[in-house]
Amino acid sequence: MNVSKDLIAASATPIVLAILKENDSYGYSIIKMVKELSDNELVWTEGMLYPVLHRLEEQELIESYWNSSETGRKRKYYRIKEAGLKELEMQKKQWEMVNSALSKTWKNKNQE
Amino acid sequence: MFDLELNIRSWSDHLRARGNFKETDILELESHLHDEIEDLVKAGLAVDEAFLISVKRLGSSQLISSEYSKVNSENLWKHLLVEPVDKVEKVQNRKNIILVIIFALLAGTLAKIPGIFGMQISDPAYSLFYFKNLSLFVLPFIAAFFIIKHKLSWKMAAAIMGVFCFTAIAINMYPSFEPKDTELLTGIHVPIFLWLITGVAYIGSKWKDSRRRMDFIRFTGESFIYGVLIFCGIMVLAMFIMMIFSAIQIDLSWFIADYFFIYGGCAAAMVTVYLVEVKKSIVENFAPILAKIFSPLFLIAMIAFLAVMAASGKSPFVEREFLIGFDLMLVLVLGLVLYVISSRGMHDKAGLFDYMNLALILAAVVIDGVALSAIIFRLSAYGITPNKLAALGENLILLVNLGGLAWMYIRYFARKIDFYVLEKWQTSYLSVYVIWMAVVAFLFPVIFGFL
Repeated sequence: MNVSKDLIAASATPIVLAILKENDSYGYSIIKMVKELSDNELVWTEGMLYPVLHRLEEQELIESYWNSSETGRKRKYYRIKEAGLKELEMQKKQWEMVNSALSKTWKNKNQE
Repeated sequence: MFDLELNIRSWSDHLRARGNFKETDILELESHLHDEIEDLVKAGLAVDEAFLISVKRLGSSQLISSEYSKVNSENLWKHLLVEPVDKVEKVQNRKNIILVIIFALLAGTLAKIPGIFGMQISDPAYSLFYFKNLSLFVLPFIAAFFIIKHKLSWKMAAAIMGVFCFTAIAINMYPSFEPKDTELLTGIHVPIFLWLITGVAYIGSKWKDSRRRMDFIRFTGESFIYGVLIFCGIMVLAMFIMMIFSAIQIDLSWFIADYFFIYGGCAAAMVTVYLVEVKKSIVENFAPILAKIFSPLFLIAMIAFLAVMAASGKSPFVEREFLIGFDLMLVLVLGLVLYVISSRGMHDKAGLFDYMNLALILAAVVIDGVALSAIIFRLSAYGITPNKLAALGENLILLVNLGGLAWMYIRYFARKIDFYVLEKWQTSYLSVYVIWMAVVAFLFPVIFGFL
């Protein structure tokens, strides 16, 4: 299924924050995880993810640090911050609200 | 054999060239590419296949770059003194900075030592002494900086420092008699000679390699530009200090002349070298940009000169001062040509600036040929002096250099040779300069009886 660009952009922040809430992670792994979580439906491009990560970092919702990978290469990891957790909670409420509103309208349509 | 690292680097260079990226962005994307490739290789692909697919997946460089530009727009002004990202580099960087500070202090102190023995820098009687030793106060430390930074072998380090010691002893032990022409010539040529020797330290063990030599040429151009800028800063600071202190009736001119300029000058040189070395991957080189701005203008000026000379029928009146002027013209043209070459990719197709280079060289060679034919006649009529011989020698060496370049360019345009042959020829020719500078600095005084 082709998810619209706007929706991908809007959902990027909560998804990234939710993933980082579980564990610190790095770009490549985040993309893989999103793919798995959505059963290959959501395929993020790198050109999209990294700018999002950097913007979140600028907003101080997440922070980054350099660490070595198992093979000894340098890798930039991201970690969620206190403000990020709060933002995630807020986003969660918003999405739930939208979700419930949408479900209701669709239910109404079905009843008609 | 497919060289993965090389391919990844050329890919990231491609991104860099687009701008919009901070250096850490590039590192992050590189690491991403590595991850992707590793996974694909694990799945059974060959390394080169994995590379191609990963690059494709990352998307075209234009797409990535435009996405990044949305985030980074205010960061496009690159920052020179960025803290390196990982710990090892951080420690290394600190070490280098400490080294720069120590060497700057040592160089300044070395320059103060003759003063202790009563040879004051402000005394006109010693101005020639300071002039010819100036490069010896600073360049050995720059060379030492590179020897340490590039971890040269003991043998090479000893050889380079040996040349510095020999130079110091020779130029100060030589007697000098009025009118001190050869001493002045030594003073002019020693810095160039020693700078080229410093180049050996810069290049390191691969000092015969033409690409590394080209790097040294680039390094020279950038150092010159940054050095001038930093030195201007020091002048402004000096004037500022003098001004505010004179407002409270304290005269600091002794401090400025005796300490500030000596230590400041040495520090400026060391800092310049450090900055240029650090920034080479961060900021685009400036010398090629200058060269590209000015080479068309110089070409127009020279063609106009040729046209007027031909039309008016006047031949250049050649005294020694004019010969030096023509030498400078050749140096300028060589510089313009070199720095245009230096920014050009080895495998680029022949472009507008290549043709302009050839035109520039040919114009310079013709002008200089006319001037030379006049001076050789005068030289034979009035006898040889060291000054004339030095100016003439320089002229001939530069002329051969430019002539060689022109010939190589013509053969390159005719597709007889690859561009790297031209580059190789130019970098090999650097040895000729080393030899000639040494001859003028060390042999001329002997030949002309130290007059």
